[in-house]
Amino acid sequence: MKFEPREHTIAILFLVPAVIGLLIFYYYPIGYTFVLSTFSLDHTTDLTANAFVGLRNYTNVLRSGPFWGSIRFTLFFTVVSVSLELSFGMVLALATYWVWPRLTALLRVIIIIPWAIPQIIEASMWKWMYNTDVGLIGDLIVRLGLTDKPPLFLADPALAQWSVIAAYVWKGSAFAAIFLMGGLALVPLELHDAAKVDGARAWRRFWTITLPMLMPTLLVVLLFQTIDGIRVFDIVYGLTGGGPGTTTDTLSSFAYKYYFKFVQYGMGSAYAVVTFVLVLAASIVYIRRVQPHFRFKGLE
Amino acid sequence: MTRRQRDLWHKILSVLVTILLAAFGLFPLYWILLTSFKTPGTEFRPPVTYWPVVFSLEAYKTILGPDFQVQRAILNSLIVSSCTTVGTLCLASLAAYTIARLKFRYKWSSLLFIQIASMLPPIIVIAPTFLIIRWMGLLGKLPGLIIPNIVYNIPMSTWLVASYFAGLPFELEDAAKVDGSPPLKIFWQIMLPLTAPGLFSAGVIAFLGSWGEFMLAFTITMGLPQVQTVPVAILSYSVAFMQQWTWISAGIVLSLIPVIALVVIFQKWVVRGLTLGSAKY
Repeated sequence: MKFEPREHTIAILFLVPAVIGLLIFYYYPIGYTFVLSTFSLDHTTDLTANAFVGLRNYTNVLRSGPFWGSIRFTLFFTVVSVSLELSFGMVLALATYWVWPRLTALLRVIIIIPWAIPQIIEASMWKWMYNTDVGLIGDLIVRLGLTDKPPLFLADPALAQWSVIAAYVWKGSAFAAIFLMGGLALVPLELHDAAKVDGARAWRRFWTITLPMLMPTLLVVLLFQTIDGIRVFDIVYGLTGGGPGTTTDTLSSFAYKYYFKFVQYGMGSAYAVVTFVLVLAASIVYIRRVQPHFRFKGLE
Repeated sequence: MTRRQRDLWHKILSVLVTILLAAFGLFPLYWILLTSFKTPGTEFRPPVTYWPVVFSLEAYKTILGPDFQVQRAILNSLIVSSCTTVGTLCLASLAAYTIARLKFRYKWSSLLFIQIASMLPPIIVIAPTFLIIRWMGLLGKLPGLIIPNIVYNIPMSTWLVASYFAGLPFELEDAAKVDGSPPLKIFWQIMLPLTAPGLFSAGVIAFLGSWGEFMLAFTITMGLPQVQTVPVAILSYSVAFMQQWTWISAGIVLSLIPVIALVVIFQKWVVRGLTLGSAKY
């Protein structure tokens, strides 16, 4: 007799490898982090009975000033960088459609290069450009006559926050632009032509045709970038290390410090869980948004 | 204004806009390139110049020399990213086929299970992952980087390949089933070759993703120079050796060559890959 596996069995067999991988490196670690966050662990990961502290790590976290500082900066960082990324990304994406067609490919390459540079290497590049004595940005600002001498981009607490955001937005805008280029490709040209015949100006065509058609893509980019903003780590770690003091520490960089600098796994986990909850909230919005639009077999 | 004049103006403005955007988009790269060709030690001497004054390859000699060996980090990154790409594509294409093509009761829940993972902050998994890798005895070894990286790239790749599968006509499988081909053969010989463009896009994106991955690499390589990948190595240069920025810049330039070459050559695939998912909803 020939072995004829049913479609259902095949489906399970095909899914199992990926699911096992995700269980080991995503879902088990999340559960474990939750467990760790209820223990007081100083330079150890042994979960002994007397190290169990219940929710005390969380009450400690909630009572500490630096935590509220880092949560405020994380949210400020996310809101500011996402709005800038979407605006710049939109301008870049529109530019690729507007320019003389021979330049489109070139412009796309210019946009895609910043996206391909690893965030931590980008941090090193910007650290050098922010150098006060011989940095590019300080020199440009002085040349433009905005200040007499270059400011301390990374050492001035108020300025450091903006410096981190600017470096992050440089790469993030490229990512937004790539997505929006794809979205713009879906806007039917006939609509534009019809509006042109009716005498609608470019600005009006953008507001009444392009933007509404682009809304679904825009929402997806918005949510992707929001999630990325809340969990930001590399750029902060590479550029300021959270300094000066803890002014540019995000939730992730704070948690990382607790894990691998202070070796306090319990407290670090509590910070990680807070980051997780914020990201989860954003993800739920995302999934609810995406769910009604699936076009896969059996999912309609 | 005649139509011809308008076209001319459009061309001139286009060139200006392109130059402006290139200036904004590429100036950090230009700055690093400029620094890398300075004589080491002179980079801290004002005044600031915007064009090359000297052309020295000394920084490159140092960064490729015995103290730094940036070529070793690049090789490590190439190994990690290539293995990750292959591994991810194997697991993701199987999962994607199920989600896009097969009759399966738990389709929605498995899709959710896979997609939620892509949104998680790395910080929530990093400490237990460190413990798992330690338990496996893979700390400070390249497989300890490759295995988690394969998993990290599954959600995005699955989504992308599934979108490609979903676009193929269902008659393909029906015809094969009538012919009596077993399901595995249908997947391997008919469906997989047809999604080659999707696999390719997913591969490029997984390669770039694992190339730039930092938090895991930093944690698992434990400061051992012989297993460091590019992001970790570059960061370690800017901490050690009194921050000689000509050396660091030379290292950055060399380490960026592979990725920039990749995206410039495969620009179309990257854009298509990244936007395909978003185009669906």
